[in-house]
Amino acid sequence: MAKEIIQIKDLKVYYPIRSGFWNRITDYVRAVDGVNFSINEGETYGLIGESGSGKSTTGKAIVGVEKVTGGQIMYKGLDVTKASNRKKLDYNKDVQMIFQDSMSSLNPRKRIEDIIAEPIRNFENLTTDQERDRVQDLLDIVGMPSDAIYKYPHEFSGGQRQRIGVARAVATNPKLIVADEPTSALDLSVQAQVLNFMKHIQQQYNIAYLFISHDLGVVKHMSENLAIMHRGRLVELGSREEIYKHPIHIYTKRLLSAIPQVDVEHREEHKKHREQVEKEFEENQGKWYDKDGRVYPLQQVAPKHWVALPEDMAQEAELEEREEKESD
Amino acid sequence: MADKKKDTATKKASKKDATPKATLPPSGFRVAVREILRSKSALTALIIIILILLLTFGGSLFLNRAQITEMNIVDAYYGWGQGGHLLGTDDGGRDILKLLIMGGRNSIMIGISVTVITEIVGLVVGLVSGYYGGVVDAIIMRIVDFIQILPQMPIIIVLTTVIPNYNAVTLVFLIAMFGWTPTARYYRSFILSQRDRDYVLASKTSGSSNFQIMFREVLPNITSMIIIDVVLTIAGNIGIETSLSFLGYGLPTTTPSLGTLIGFANDPVNVINRPWLWLPATILLLVISLSINYVGRALQRAGDARQREN
Ligand SMILES: Nc1ncnc2c1ncn2[C@@H]1O[C@H](COP(=O)(O)OP(=O)(O)O)[C@@H](O)[C@H]1O
Ligand SMILES: [Mg+2]
Repeated sequence: MAKEIIQIKDLKVYYPIRSGFWNRITDYVRAVDGVNFSINEGETYGLIGESGSGKSTTGKAIVGVEKVTGGQIMYKGLDVTKASNRKKLDYNKDVQMIFQDSMSSLNPRKRIEDIIAEPIRNFENLTTDQERDRVQDLLDIVGMPSDAIYKYPHEFSGGQRQRIGVARAVATNPKLIVADEPTSALDLSVQAQVLNFMKHIQQQYNIAYLFISHDLGVVKHMSENLAIMHRGRLVELGSREEIYKHPIHIYTKRLLSAIPQVDVEHREEHKKHREQVEKEFEENQGKWYDKDGRVYPLQQVAPKHWVALPEDMAQEAELEEREEKESD
Repeated sequence: MADKKKDTATKKASKKDATPKATLPPSGFRVAVREILRSKSALTALIIIILILLLTFGGSLFLNRAQITEMNIVDAYYGWGQGGHLLGTDDGGRDILKLLIMGGRNSIMIGISVTVITEIVGLVVGLVSGYYGGVVDAIIMRIVDFIQILPQMPIIIVLTTVIPNYNAVTLVFLIAMFGWTPTARYYRSFILSQRDRDYVLASKTSGSSNFQIMFREVLPNITSMIIIDVVLTIAGNIGIETSLSFLGYGLPTTTPSLGTLIGFANDPVNVINRPWLWLPATILLLVISLSINYVGRALQRAGDARQREN
């Protein structure tokens, strides 16, 4: 059993909605609403959901740049939702982030050297020469030419900028990197390249990734475990096997059916299947979501498989899944 | 693939010119210079400003304040060019041209001094307010609101009459007391648009303090806004000094300024019969303000273009 590096317990992030004459808080956007999962050392954990489902907010809460409303994030036995604990642990030396928009995540007025050296300067005591060597090494690791250190972000392509973002994230030898849709803004060919660098670095330094994506296709070959997120809650959670082979929640099925297929022969079938899933999703809202449209609590249906279902359906699903497996 | 092509392209390029050269994204300053050079009116305005600065600041070096403000009733009210006075003399026989040179310098100096104070205060307040947001922002902005609804002119006028030892420095502080509020509001709005950018979050996860992020990361990203505001505010502040002096509540009459010169027009006789007293100062003020505004607008266009690029 791999060792858990971080545990997210009942995490909640609410944004107040203000309105009216006094600008008082009248309601909340429940961006993240009671999320539980754990990430193992050195693994890639996928967090998948359509846009607006609260993935980025979850990721930002984990790296400590988003104020949480409730719940805990346990790292090395301490609750790092508290700033004092983060400070005590030098938390961000161990937990870093790669952002979706490589342009906005690199300060346009700083040279690449200063961008990558920023975490090193803050967390480590190196001489100027050592620091420059380290930055050169990092650029080398992500396959960037060495004269890049003198340049500014706008002089690079999107893929190159994202690799610079990766270099910055690994600068302090972190244990966990939250990668928020690191490739979704890139061309397909460049995507693969960046993903390869990320994989390579992971193997070399035993880094765990929380890999956020809206596309189940992208994470298929990356992550051992996955959580599917919708409306700020997890709808399904489990090993890659379980999620891709035995999806139960209609939302997961919908995401799976949305993966583009290259298979030309069965194109019609896929299209039909997709339409059918979409129809079921539209028509059976009441079955999969409670009367407020909220996602149900997770129920275990197999050793490595949890689904958000009302309790009676959970037992059914458990039986079905067992039968399905026997017939496999 | 596409990336690789670009890679080799950049390699080829860097081989050609061996020295690695970095090009800063068009900085506020460089965009400003380019924009001014491109627009004829702005360039003309800039040249006029430089000439005026040379005339007033350079000319003042050769003048002695005690001497030019000395009363010499015998020479009173010479007209244009009479008695060797190119722009005539005033009621005390003082040479208007010399008063204009020194007064112009004083007015510009006061405008610049007020601007330095209001820009620094406004920038820091705007940064803090916009960056922290929330309660801090709410409190600061209510204070700003409060100061902005106060009637600025009457309060300054009252204070000038009660403050002992009233001089140019006190006047600068009186004007600055009110002047920082629109500046703070202006910078706050730009900080608000910057603080949610991912580079700020990245700096946080890189372990930088809020103070470092505000001044080292965010501030350089609004340099063009600072240049624009500084230029336009200088013109405005020269105007405030001038109107106060014109009303008789600005600088004491022993300190020449554009406002005190224009103040001669308070007397209807002077307005009609002795235009040399107030007309040159009025024209100088007009030219300064217009020129600065032309330059400022050109900078603003450059700034807007940059905003669009971002
Ligand atoms: N700063 C904020 N203020 C108010 N609402 C926010 C804020 N950030 C995100 N939200 C809302 O929270 C929800 C989740 O957003 P996000 O985590 O960015 O989703 P995702 O990354 O899955 O696309 C969205 O409905 C979004 O509008
Ligand atoms: Mg997102």
